[in-house]
Amino acid sequence: MLVEQELIEKARAGDAPAFNQLVLAYRKRILGTISRLIGRPEDVEDVAQEVFVRLYYSLDQLRTPEVFEPWLYRLTVNACYDYLRRAKRRGESRMADLSEQQVLLADSLAGGRQQNEDQQKTRVREFVDALFRHVSEEDRLLLTLKEVEGLSLKELEQIYGVNENALKVRLFRARQRVLKAYNNASANGKL
Amino acid sequence: MIDDDSRLNAMLADYRAACPEIEPTVNFMPVLWQRIEGRRGFWFVFQREGRAVMTASAALCVVLLVLNFFYASQTRLNPPTYADALMADHTAEMTYYTEAIRGTSSTQDDVPAR
Repeated sequence: MLVEQELIEKARAGDAPAFNQLVLAYRKRILGTISRLIGRPEDVEDVAQEVFVRLYYSLDQLRTPEVFEPWLYRLTVNACYDYLRRAKRRGESRMADLSEQQVLLADSLAGGRQQNEDQQKTRVREFVDALFRHVSEEDRLLLTLKEVEGLSLKELEQIYGVNENALKVRLFRARQRVLKAYNNASANGKL
Repeated sequence: MIDDDSRLNAMLADYRAACPEIEPTVNFMPVLWQRIEGRRGFWFVFQREGRAVMTASAALCVVLLVLNFFYASQTRLNPPTYADALMADHTAEMTYYTEAIRGTSSTQDDVPAR
């Protein structure tokens, strides 16, 4: 945990400075998670603020400070879902499928050419984002939380309120789909 | 299969490393507090108060149910005698008075208006 349990207790009791400290401790991590989940840098801060507003008004429902982090992740995932649902309604697409340009970029990445480090990172991101298009929004979020954010199955269990076996099955299927897309990309010479 | 898995794991690790660190802007905290204050509007207060009223009502219902159950069980423990029951029952008396009043009013109604 990034903060002492005492601070969480104080924030839960309505202490504004304690809540402020809590936000300062977690905001960077939450911003990172949201950016990976929604894939729109311009809206990340807005969604993060929504998460902390929801946290402020729901903190009194937190049973014990030990479950604070899964609770915060749950709020984050829910806020991301809400954002993605709104974006879908507005008809915005999160990211393109493997476009010709990305294929070329991925080619150059595989070719190991000397590239600028930032450009290379952008390519990796775009390529993985495109692969993630092959799974549902729910599975992409789950996969990101598990494989990219590094959350354990126990933590995911608390976030989703689903048992571990069900999560394992979902993760396995999602991984299979991503792997299939990855292999197709390799077979077609896109990688 | 294992090879595929490890390739995917490596790719996801690269992806994680490639994701930029997002730095909050200077306005993050002020805007956050503005949004928190903004939600303290009428509907927020209404919902919160509504929730409190509902909780209080539910608690009152539970208390009344418990009391009702308690008194009902006490009554069952000490069944009144036939004489007690007759003493407590004023139905016959009430019926007598009611009938008398009804009888008077119907007689008055029968008199034609002049």
